[in-house]
This record gives sequence, C-alpha cells and structure tokens, in this order.
Amino acid sequence: MNNLLNFFVKHSSWFVFIIYVIASCVLLFRDNPYQQSVYLTSANALSATVYEGMSTVTDYFHLKGINDDLQRRNALLEQELVAMRAEVTDLRLLLPDTAQMQPRLRQFDYVLAHVISNSIAQTNNYITINRGSADGVKPEMGVVDKNGVVGIVNVVGRHSARVISLLNPHMRLSCKLRGSEYFGSMVWDGKSPEMAVLEELPKHLQYAVGDTIVTSGYSAVFPEGIIVGTVEGRARDDSESFVSLKVRLTTNFSQLSTVRVMTNNLADELRELSASENVEQSAISTPKPREDKP
Amino acid sequence: MTKTVIQFVVLAVVLVLVQVVFNRIVLLGVAVPIVFIYLLMRLPVNLNTNWVLTIGFVTGLLVDIFGNTPGMNALACTVLAVLRMPVFNVYMPRENDMNTPIPSVDSMGVAAYFKYMSTLVLFYCVLIFMIQAFTTRDLLLTLARIGASTVLSVVLILGLDSLVSTRREKRL
Repeated sequence: MNNLLNFFVKHSSWFVFIIYVIASCVLLFRDNPYQQSVYLTSANALSATVYEGMSTVTDYFHLKGINDDLQRRNALLEQELVAMRAEVTDLRLLLPDTAQMQPRLRQFDYVLAHVISNSIAQTNNYITINRGSADGVKPEMGVVDKNGVVGIVNVVGRHSARVISLLNPHMRLSCKLRGSEYFGSMVWDGKSPEMAVLEELPKHLQYAVGDTIVTSGYSAVFPEGIIVGTVEGRARDDSESFVSLKVRLTTNFSQLSTVRVMTNNLADELRELSASENVEQSAISTPKPREDKP
Repeated sequence: MTKTVIQFVVLAVVLVLVQVVFNRIVLLGVAVPIVFIYLLMRLPVNLNTNWVLTIGFVTGLLVDIFGNTPGMNALACTVLAVLRMPVFNVYMPRENDMNTPIPSVDSMGVAAYFKYMSTLVLFYCVLIFMIQAFTTRDLLLTLARIGASTVLSVVLILGLDSLVSTRREKRL
C-alpha cells in the first residue's frame, strides 16, 4: 500500500498531465464541430470499409437463395402476363374502344421511415427519422403516420432527418373543420401531448364536439383532408373576432414507430408560383399570407 | 513571496485579457499574436510541476472560454507546461548560476533567455495550429501560420518583457 502511494506521489505530475490532457480533449471533441467532424468521419470511413468488406464475402453465400427467389417470381410474372394478354385480346374483341387511359400525375408520393428518436415532454419537440436526402427527403415535406399528421421535415442529413413535431410551438398548420371551408391555424399550447389549439376561426362558426379537424391543403406540405384531430371544446377567448377550439390530436405521439414522409412532386412548381405571387404582392404593398412554414 | 504571487496573478489577468483581444487579430491572414504564454515562461523554475501544469491548463482554458474554442489552448498549454523544463535545461544546464529562480534576461543572460523563449513560442505555435487544423491537409498553410505567428509573438513578447522587467526594477 505504501509503495503504491509512493508511486502515485512520485509520478503525480504524469497523472496531473494526463488528467488535464483528457479534460481538454473532451472539451475539444465535444464542443468543436470541426474537430468532431474530422474525427467522426474518419471513424465512419473505417467502419464503412469493414462492413463493405464483410458484405462482399457474405453476399456470395446468399446468391443461391436469391437466385431461386428470382426464378420463382419470374415464372409467376410470366404466367400473369400471359393470362393478362389473353384477357386483353378477348376484351378488345368484345368491346372495341378508342378511349385511352392517360397516366395521371401523382402529386404526393410516400417514403416509409422509422422514428429513431422522439420527444414529447420538451417545450420544443423534435422527431428524428432514419431517412434522409439519399432517400429523397427534403426540408418542408409533411410527415404523417397511420393515425394522422405528425410534423414537417426541418433539417435533412444524408441518411436521417429531423422533423418538427406538431407538438412544437414553432409549427403552425393550416387546418379546417371537415365538411366546411372555415380554416384556422393549429398550434400546440405546450400543455399536453394529446391536445392542441385551432386558432383564428371565424366567430360565427358552427361546430359540435367530436367534429373532425383535417388539413386544409392550402400549402404545398400536406394534401387536403388528412386527419389531425377532433374538436374537444372551446378554448380560451382572447380576441373579439376569432374563436379558438381545443383539439384532441389523433396521432399518438408517445408511440410513433413507422411514419410516412410525403414527397410532393409539385412542390417546386408551387413554391415558384407563390414566390412570384409574393413579388407581385409586395409590389402593391400588401402583407404576405401566412404559410405553413415552421 | 506574497508580492511575487500577486504580481503573477495581475500579470495573468492582464495577459489573458490582452490575448482575448489579440485572438481577433490575424496579420496578413497568417500571423496570430500569442502573448499569454509569457506567463508560463516566467514561472519560477523550482515551482512544482503540478502547479505549472495547473496554471497552464487554467490560463489556456480561460483564453478558450473567451475565444469560444473549448479545449484547444488548454491542451496546448498543458503540453507546453511539460516541455518547459526540458527546454530550459537545454539552454541552462546548471540552475545554480541563476540569482533568482524566475527566468529572465537578468537571471539567464540575453542569449539563453531569447533561445528559451523563442523555442517555447515555436512549440506552442506548432501545437495550437496543428490542433486547429487537425489534418495534414493544407500543411503548407499551417506551416506558414506557425512561422509567421512565431515571429510576431516573439517580437511582441520581447516588448512585453522589457515593459515588465523595467517596471519591476524600478519597484525594487
């Protein structure tokens, strides 16, 4: 024991030195994004090379199974094609028709994503999903799950993206009562992860508790008619000309797993349009319309 | 003794504040004046290594906190505190020749003191710019920075040294 203590006292400078070096390295790598990125990317490159090397070897073992699957699938498709062709020729003989089907442009496509991190207890809540720019996800795309609206994509990385949750006061969503054309803007009041407030509805609005609230489709982010929540009752009234409704959200934010990112094929076009509109409007000096941007 | 400690504390505060201002200066895009390491050079040679390390780490950390570069100067200063005595021993093999334990022109002689000081400044510039760049890419630029900053810092520290020394002599 004495020897050990003597050892520590004799070499105390070394320990002090090592402690200080570790402390400054922790600070250096934790708080400086540049050093962190250099350090992390080299680490990633290493692990990526290892994984790639492993998969080039192991892929060969699965080739036989994959080949069998492909053969089976090919045979099925061929059978189907033959049957379809026969059917089409039969129908052509029965009903000669000159009308042709035009492939319709689809405005919204879906990208499936998994939620890899989620919060509901903060003041500003964000969700992280495992799809990024490599999968076609871009900022300002809407995110929904099977129950309703989840949020809007905010920051996009290569293979992950951050979504502004509906449970975030920075997010305003244009919504309306289903079956009416009265729209207002949905915002979270920060109280409960199950409730939000639909503001700026006209005073003369007729509603019943339990009415469905859907997206208005007045922005490029969400199409019209996606369910957001149901009316729970009247919220506090602070203005004379507008009324606010308490809304129970249909999305269960505490149990998000698979979500869909809505990639809008017309987003660029719509944005260009609204940009030119804004230019015209500012020329005659009227205020900009409120947008769904976070 | 107490007087020396107080003098050192005042010197430390002034140097850190001056360095905070100097950190914003980049002459010709390469030369950064680094003066606060003068404090480490002036520490008495018989001071315990643990103290030198602690003072180096804390001053580096203070500059980091003001400059928003957490860890960089702290790391470089800690390494410099270790290098201090080996460098000193290269130029002054026998400590007994010194009349005071504080390294200065008087106690070491002009040539030895200048060499001691400029070597430490060079080491510090190498450390800090390597930590900042963190890669061997753009090595030429890093080398230019190291060279230019070393020259500028040595000149400034010599000027600072003459200021501090004359003031002390008058007081004594």
